[in-house]
Amino acid sequence: MFIAVVLSFFGARLVQLQGVEQAKYATLAASTGGTVTVELPAERGEILDRNGRPLADSVSGRMVVADPVQTSKRAPDLARFLAKHLHVDYFSTLRALTRKNSRFAYVARRVPADLAVRVVNEATDAGYKGLATRNDPVRSYPDRDVAANLVGFMGTDGPLAGLELTFNKALAGRDGSETYEVGAGNRIPLGHSTVTPAHNGIDLHTTIDEDLQWYTQRVLRQTVLGSGGESGFAVVLDRRTGETLALADYPTYDASNPQASPAKDRNSLAMTSPYEPGSVEKVLTLSSLIDAGKVTDRTRLLVPGQLQSGDRVIHDWFPHGPIKLTLAGVIAQSSNIGTAKASRLFKQGQLRKYLTAFGLGQRTDIGVNGETSGLLPSNAEWNGMLQDRIAFGQSVSVNGMQMAAAINTIANGGVRVDPSLIQGRATTNTGDVVGTDEATSHRVVSKNAAHQMTQMMERVVDPDVGVAPAAQVPGYVVAGKTGTAQRVGDRCGCYNGQFTVSFAGFAPADNPRFTVYVVVQRPTNGGGGGSIAGPAFSKIMSFALRRYGVPPTGAQPSHIPTTW
Amino acid sequence: MSSTAPAIRVRVPRLAGAALERARLTVVPKRRRRRTSPVPFLLVVSMLTVGGIVGLLLFNTSMQQASFAATGLQRQADALQARQQTLQMELDQLRDPQTIALKAQRMGMVLPSSPAVLDLKTGKVLGDPAPATGLDRLRLLAPPPRKPAVLDPPAQVTVVHPPATATHAGVDSSHNTAHDGGRGSHDNGGPAGRNDHTGNTDHKSHTNNTSHGTNH
Repeated sequence: MFIAVVLSFFGARLVQLQGVEQAKYATLAASTGGTVTVELPAERGEILDRNGRPLADSVSGRMVVADPVQTSKRAPDLARFLAKHLHVDYFSTLRALTRKNSRFAYVARRVPADLAVRVVNEATDAGYKGLATRNDPVRSYPDRDVAANLVGFMGTDGPLAGLELTFNKALAGRDGSETYEVGAGNRIPLGHSTVTPAHNGIDLHTTIDEDLQWYTQRVLRQTVLGSGGESGFAVVLDRRTGETLALADYPTYDASNPQASPAKDRNSLAMTSPYEPGSVEKVLTLSSLIDAGKVTDRTRLLVPGQLQSGDRVIHDWFPHGPIKLTLAGVIAQSSNIGTAKASRLFKQGQLRKYLTAFGLGQRTDIGVNGETSGLLPSNAEWNGMLQDRIAFGQSVSVNGMQMAAAINTIANGGVRVDPSLIQGRATTNTGDVVGTDEATSHRVVSKNAAHQMTQMMERVVDPDVGVAPAAQVPGYVVAGKTGTAQRVGDRCGCYNGQFTVSFAGFAPADNPRFTVYVVVQRPTNGGGGGSIAGPAFSKIMSFALRRYGVPPTGAQPSHIPTTW
Repeated sequence: MSSTAPAIRVRVPRLAGAALERARLTVVPKRRRRRTSPVPFLLVVSMLTVGGIVGLLLFNTSMQQASFAATGLQRQADALQARQQTLQMELDQLRDPQTIALKAQRMGMVLPSSPAVLDLKTGKVLGDPAPATGLDRLRLLAPPPRKPAVLDPPAQVTVVHPPATATHAGVDSSHNTAHDGGRGSHDNGGPAGRNDHTGNTDHKSHTNNTSHGTNH
């Protein structure tokens, strides 16, 4: 009987707790603690240059958010406080703090964590209510425009361009989370907890040399602006490995403030915009012809004043009657007629095979989004007229890296090394694996043919017989080739009187270390490849040789005859 | 056999008697049990219990204490890590080649175009060394953004003809004016301030044009 009385008391209390006052206790429990889930953000991988210096870097950051219901009362004061300490705009902040019918408004995004937390704590101490911070990592580009066209940038919610976009999956990593019980703001020891660890993103090691890239960009800008050009690019390749030490584009933009520049300035024109290479292509045609055993560097050619090709006539850039040039003279004087005439010695399909082996018409797949494969006419389209023009770089289009790698083949003794931009290997979003580990090499022309071509190219920078003395690098022997090609207009699809001027070369010529290729689109000062791109080549090459401590070899430039 | 049987029969009762005598049971004298006090046992048990409870309490308290400390330290670690990252970011910005180049150029330094290379083995100077000059200055800053026409009116050029007496000088200066005018109109399309920096390049390419023509 006694026990029954006691138990009924217990029962009554139970009903009171669970039924009647349940809500009150639940609130009490929630206010003092409970289970919380925090996100463990994965750190986005850095994009590094070849020496491990960051081109893109992740910093832990916060967003500052406001609850307008609580902030609107003292909004003007708080807005002034935030404008001063967080460097945000006063008026837009005021608008956010007083937003109607809302309990959430952004005040500032991607603020370095220590600044955000400090400011919000100060605001709370000063009696302002309704501010909070949330996780919001900051992506920083410490070098601003250096390699910006390659690296790309992050938008508010994800990558928008460049390597950031191409390798996003690898860079992003996977966020984790942690759930645990808290009491009065402190974690309950031995309380229930589960952890899913975050997997940080993988760092992307590029082959870019930050300092050389910076210098190349500055020289390129000076060159494009100085010639009144529209755009331009410059490539520096390590001759032995095909690694891209610099790939500069102009116009460029500030990756830490991409909105300040138009969208068209933010991609890599060198990789995405095909163009006709012009006379630089003669190097490929004539070294192939030497390799095929049809000619040598001393072969004598009688070059007429003009050459009939189908229903068209080929001219040289300088008017002349019949002149006697050796093959070296054809390169040194950049004769279209001489090249076209010599290329008629090729058998059917032979030139196309060589150009394909040089890498024309195929993407280099170095990891740049939207790379163009250029345009090498197919076997079916190929005919004698077309071959005459392709021989000196018309009717064939390329991207900058293709052409740089092709010239590098001559520098490398006839062996083409795949160019690369990523050290080791990395997987793109589409699953392609790219990088130096994936680079292969194959022989295109014989060592002897490459050597003869190098000697011919040394004549190009000769002040007496060549067209580009301005491309010389003091103290070193340089081999190179100019290019001045007519541009195909955007609208008419025909040559519109504009030009692409370029210079490609390597040094030291007897044991090349670097291949440099400079292209300026649409210069308006009337200059050509030798006078516009030549000096830029000289500066960039000189800087690279100095930076990597390449001593002059003491060799003398070749003196093979250019006339007979 | 039969002769021995009565003898056994006789012996048996004797044996049984002795055994009986020996096997007589007596009550074992009851040992006096000493009554021990229950206090020590209870003391030990309660000490163990109390000790356990107090120990558990202390342990729990210390764990709570550690948890408070951990929360505080974690907050501090987060703050320090954020600080470190911000400082690293500032350092990277200070190490930006552009920043360094601007500072160096302000101090009057230029990149040499043709430095000397010293071979340490032979002590010989290689290359073609030449001292750097102001012409080696590299343009480091982007051109300023183009202003709207209202803010950037074309320069007013007044051509003043010299007095007719100095005929020779007159020809010279009129030639100069025409040349400058041409340059000015050429630069109108370009961004402001270009003239100062690119004057050199323009001049060079001009010379090259006359000697080589356009390379088509």
